[in-house]
Amino acid sequence: MSPDGPSPPGTPQVKSLNCPSCGAALVIRSFGQAVTVVCSHCHLILDAKDPNLKILQKFTASVYEDSPLIPLGTRGTIRGAAYDVIGFDRRTIHVEGVSYSWHEYVLFNPYKGFRYLTEYNGHWNDTTILRSLPTFYPNASPPALKYLGETYKQFQTAQAGTNFVLGEFPWQARVGESVEVCDYVSPPRLISSEKTGKEITWSMGEYMSGADVWKAFNLDGRPPEAVGVYENQPYPLSKAVTSIWIAFTAFLLIFFFLLMGFTMFAQNQLVYQGNYEFNSDGTGEASFIVGTFNLTGRTSDLQLETSTSLDNQWIYLNYALINQDTGQAYDVGREISYYYGYDSDGAWTEGSRRDTVAIPSVPSGTYYLRVEPESDPGLLTIFYSIALKRDVPQLWYFGIAFLALLIPPALITWRSINFEHLRWAESDYPPAYSGSDNSDEPEPGMPDQESQLFAGSNQAHKNTKSFDEDDTP
Amino acid sequence: MIRTLYILFGFIVLGTLYTAEYRGWSLDTIEEVKNVPKSVRDNPGSYRSVYNTYHHYTGGK
Repeated sequence: MSPDGPSPPGTPQVKSLNCPSCGAALVIRSFGQAVTVVCSHCHLILDAKDPNLKILQKFTASVYEDSPLIPLGTRGTIRGAAYDVIGFDRRTIHVEGVSYSWHEYVLFNPYKGFRYLTEYNGHWNDTTILRSLPTFYPNASPPALKYLGETYKQFQTAQAGTNFVLGEFPWQARVGESVEVCDYVSPPRLISSEKTGKEITWSMGEYMSGADVWKAFNLDGRPPEAVGVYENQPYPLSKAVTSIWIAFTAFLLIFFFLLMGFTMFAQNQLVYQGNYEFNSDGTGEASFIVGTFNLTGRTSDLQLETSTSLDNQWIYLNYALINQDTGQAYDVGREISYYYGYDSDGAWTEGSRRDTVAIPSVPSGTYYLRVEPESDPGLLTIFYSIALKRDVPQLWYFGIAFLALLIPPALITWRSINFEHLRWAESDYPPAYSGSDNSDEPEPGMPDQESQLFAGSNQAHKNTKSFDEDDTP
Repeated sequence: MIRTLYILFGFIVLGTLYTAEYRGWSLDTIEEVKNVPKSVRDNPGSYRSVYNTYHHYTGGK
């Protein structure tokens, strides 16, 4: 009770006591609710239910060994309710010789009861005790839980030991106590079971960003950077993946509409075709004029196609498309070569006898084409033909556009797959695990096989520690 | 946000595609020359192509 009178609604009752060992002041913020309280000076774990604060355990630790990121006594707002941070502990698991530790913060609201914040490598979870049991599917691969219509895949099972405690706890906290922890994930939520003997406590966590925690508790500075992918961390762009593919499908429809439109309605008009021959041993001027011809319609491309009779030869053709009226010229040089033979690797060919070039954005008008062929002296006569086509669809652009539209959704999907890969790499069921990809849902015909794990859990859950949210004043 | 950006990007891509096809753009390298004399029609050898200095490939494997 506050010395200034009754506390306003929503304010936890605070009682000041002294540690029976070192005499340091103990602040009990959940008076009547806490089961154990830890002296922050001498690390005595005391029985908060005992009027004389019976000593339960003493552990050796430096006060600064592990200081909470959210100081005890800090008040914050979680899901619209004010909670005080009243306890802090650290738990550690050992996997393949490596220790992994996370922190738990005990939060208390006199009307709502207890809830917990857990933190591992900058990843946070808002955790509450489950009020009903999930259904267990031990034969799913990996084993799964179903709770409120949602499927949770088993992620990891480990033996977790408590190795640091501070403040108040609604259970008989002890340093050195060990529980078997099993996590089941369905991002952004997870369900954890903590098994001690025949007791099982079930809790549900929901992922929170450090920024949200800092905002909820109005903390100074910045939260620690989240490292890696956490077991129930949602992929930041998970909603975007589906919507982007939907948008891609819509764009694809427009894309095919454009493709069909330009293919069907382009003029694709042959405006000139002629056959020629070139003898590089000939004398006199090689260049000559082709046309004139009229190009009609809107400004569009003019495709110049050259077909040759090259036989281990090359020919270079200087083309100049010249507007007879304006003197505007489009110059393009095309080298065409075709070689073939046979060597120790077998038959080979190089080059092509045909060539196509598109002259861009040619306005309508009267044009002629200047042609100037070149080749090595001494080669046989080269026969070639020239064809000019007006307004030919350039399929290159469709290919480029298709790739441009495809890359963003493909990239986001790839990142999503990679994110899941990183998540499950840390689990008991890494991606190489043969059954990890066929178990989004438990098999429909599978009976609710509550394994031995559940055999005593109902009773255990009722009797568990006093973790229940109903434990309100 | 990402979806909005992608939709904007998609319309830019399709708009550019439409313009490129409608206006007859090309990826080929073309040199434009202005004010070519009318005499070229009668004397094609008088025209100097910008590609005249091109070094030709005379290869084969």
